[in-house]
Formats: sequence, C-alpha cells, structure tokens
Amino acid sequence: MEQIGLWAGFILTLMIFSYILGDNVLYRLAVYIFAGLSAGYIAIVTWDSVLRPWINGTILSPGAGIGGIILGAIPLVIGALLLLKFSPRFGRLGNIALAFIIGVGTAVALVGAITGTLLPLVSSTGSSIAVNRVNGILLVIGVVCTLVYFQYLARRTSSGKIQRGLHVRAMGFVGQGVIVVTLGAVYAAAILTSLTIFSERVSFLLTRISGG
Amino acid sequence: MGRRLLTIPAAAIAIGFGLITLAGLVVGNDLGFLSTLVSLFGVRPMTDILLQLVVITVAVTVLIGIANLITVHFGRIRQRKGGWGYSVVLMISTLAVIILTILERANILSGSPSITTILLENVQVSIESALAGLLLFSLVYGAFRTLRNRFTGWGVLFTLALLIVLIAALPLPGFQLISNVRDWLMDVPVSAGARGILLGIALATVVAGVRVLTGQDRSYRE
Repeated sequence: MEQIGLWAGFILTLMIFSYILGDNVLYRLAVYIFAGLSAGYIAIVTWDSVLRPWINGTILSPGAGIGGIILGAIPLVIGALLLLKFSPRFGRLGNIALAFIIGVGTAVALVGAITGTLLPLVSSTGSSIAVNRVNGILLVIGVVCTLVYFQYLARRTSSGKIQRGLHVRAMGFVGQGVIVVTLGAVYAAAILTSLTIFSERVSFLLTRISGG
Repeated sequence: MGRRLLTIPAAAIAIGFGLITLAGLVVGNDLGFLSTLVSLFGVRPMTDILLQLVVITVAVTVLIGIANLITVHFGRIRQRKGGWGYSVVLMISTLAVIILTILERANILSGSPSITTILLENVQVSIESALAGLLLFSLVYGAFRTLRNRFTGWGVLFTLALLIVLIAALPLPGFQLISNVRDWLMDVPVSAGARGILLGIALATVVAGVRVLTGQDRSYRE
C-alpha cells in the first residue's frame, strides 16, 4: 500500500511540474486533487480537534445541565446565523454573529499587537544599541525611517503646493531604501527555500526512477 | 427602521464583548480599583468562555466553508458547467478522505500505516512540496520581468540585495567577503526594514482595533 502511495506521489509531482511547459489538464487535475484532499483533511481535523471535544464536553456531557447545553449550542447558533448572510432578506441577522466574532477578535488582535509585537520589538530595537553601538544606531535609524516612509502627512506651502517637509522626505527616502533591501533579501530567501524544496522533489523523482 | 434597529444590537455586541475581552486580557492583579472591578464581575472567566466560543464558532465557519465548496462543485457537476470534470475529481478526493477516515474509525479498514496517513504523507505532502518547488520558476521569472520592464535605481538596489543573499548561500570558497556583507545586511538594514514593517502593521492593528471598539468602524453592518 505504501508503494502505491509513493508512486501516486511520483505521478502527482510530475503532473504539477508539467506546469513549467504551460497550464495544462494534468496540472489542473493535480491541483483539484490537492484542493479536495485539503478540504477533507481540514474538515476531519476541525471536527476531531475542536468541535467533537466541545460537543462532548457540553451538549452531550452526562453531567451537563441546561446551562451547559445552552453554552454548547451558542457557537452552533452563531454559525447558523452566519449562514443567513447568504439570504438577502435575513442577511442582517448574520451581522449579529459577525459582530460577536469581530468584537472578541479585535480585542485579541489589539492585545496581541501591543504585547506580542509593539513592546518586544521596540524594547529589542532599543537594547540593540547596547550590543553593538554602530549597528544598533543604524538599526534604530532604519526602523524610524521605515516607519516615516509610510506616513503621508504633508503641509501646504506658500505657493499652494502640498509637500512633505524636507527632513520627512529625506527620512522617507532612506526608509524606502531600507524597505527595498529588505524585500530583496526576503525575495532571495524565498528563492532559496523554493530551490531547496525543488531539489528535494527532483531527488525524490530520481530515487523513484532508479528504484530506490 | 427595522434595518437600523438591527445595526444597534450588532454594534453593542461588538463593542460590549470586545471591551469585556480586552479587560479580561489586559487587567492584571495590580491595577487597584480596575482589578477589583474585574474580579467582582468575573470578567476573566467570562473572557475565557468568550474566547472558547469564538474558536468554536470559527471551527463551525470552517465546516460551513467546506460544505459550501462541496455544494458549489456539486452545482457545477449538475449543470455540466465548463471544467465540471475537475469538480468531480475534487468531490471524489474530498469525500474519499472523509469516508476513509470514518471507515478507519469504525475499524472496517485497518493497516499500518493507515490509508489516510499514506494519503496525507505521500499524496498531499508530495503535491504541496511540488507546488512550493514550482514557486522557484515563478519567483525567478517574476524578478527577471520586473527588471526588464522597469530599470530604476531602486530596482538595482533590490537586485543587488537579492544577488548578495543568493551568492552568499553558495557553498564555495572565496566568497567570505560577500558572506560578511550578507550577514551585515541581514543584521542591520533587513532587520530594520522587517521591524519597521512589523511595527507599522502592529500600529495599524491598534488603530483599527480602537476604531472598532469605539464604534467608529462598523464593517460588520454590511
């Protein structure tokens, strides 16, 4: 059975690589198989890891009172309300469910952005000066200039032209350079990663062909 | 009028539950009156329940999404729309995984490794890896086209950074200088750019979050 699976992987890899010659039936078939399998697995994992434990622990729990049953049913009701979004007549009822998700999600995102990104990044950027003074200062300048590049506040000059201040433009220019270098490096990292995966796939194909 | 009435509870729900969750997540034990208030009203256990409810609701929406995918493709097959053959393949592969898993759970199918494991490890992972490998060609071709169509100073800087990182990855002797330049690039400008972008995203998240929690942004109305 495992050999059949390996050969299936071999054929599907070739079908995907056939895209190098252009969009074709084989490539599309492989992509649809992939989409189908992914949907199936996601459904199973969602049911097994999230929904079944929740339903067993609330609605179907032997000791669950009416409160537990109601609590267990709330997400199912919210899900049903979301389905109403498809209806032009009752679509607005779905907004209530959406508002609940957005409200709680926003609070989580807000706390996550402050405690998970803002505070640690600002702290580590500031403390990098203590590790290496020159590089640390350059790092802080780079971060500030990057942030300045993304602000578009400008003032009207006496001639009526709307323009950013000279220092803001200069900092924005440096920031643009930093972003370009960052994107170049990230692009190169993406190429290296895909090259590694591609060579692994070619090695897999050759191993299969040579009977390994 | 009825429509307007429905937007008020939606806003109240978003703001109310958002603030309760925020209070439960942020307020610790050392904030004096606020901490007492949070403990008094049981905000922290309430926050835990709210978070659980959202996770379960998202899981329900995932299942609704998959059900919608199956319905859409079933409709394409029934109406014999263009490319309906692909929809048949998609339906078969989705249902195959679900049915095989059910049969395995019911001990009707057995074997080690199980068929679903083989499907996951040898079929799904193979396709995923091949697609990720295919990305190589798209990335290289994309970079080539960008440079060919628009030759600017920023384009040259982009290519320089790209080439330095690529060349420094080569396991060849004599590239020590480029390797050092690559290390400096990654430590200083790339790190600064990445931090700047992440800080920008976080700041934008905070602004958007505050707008939702103060009722200025009501995107859930539409």
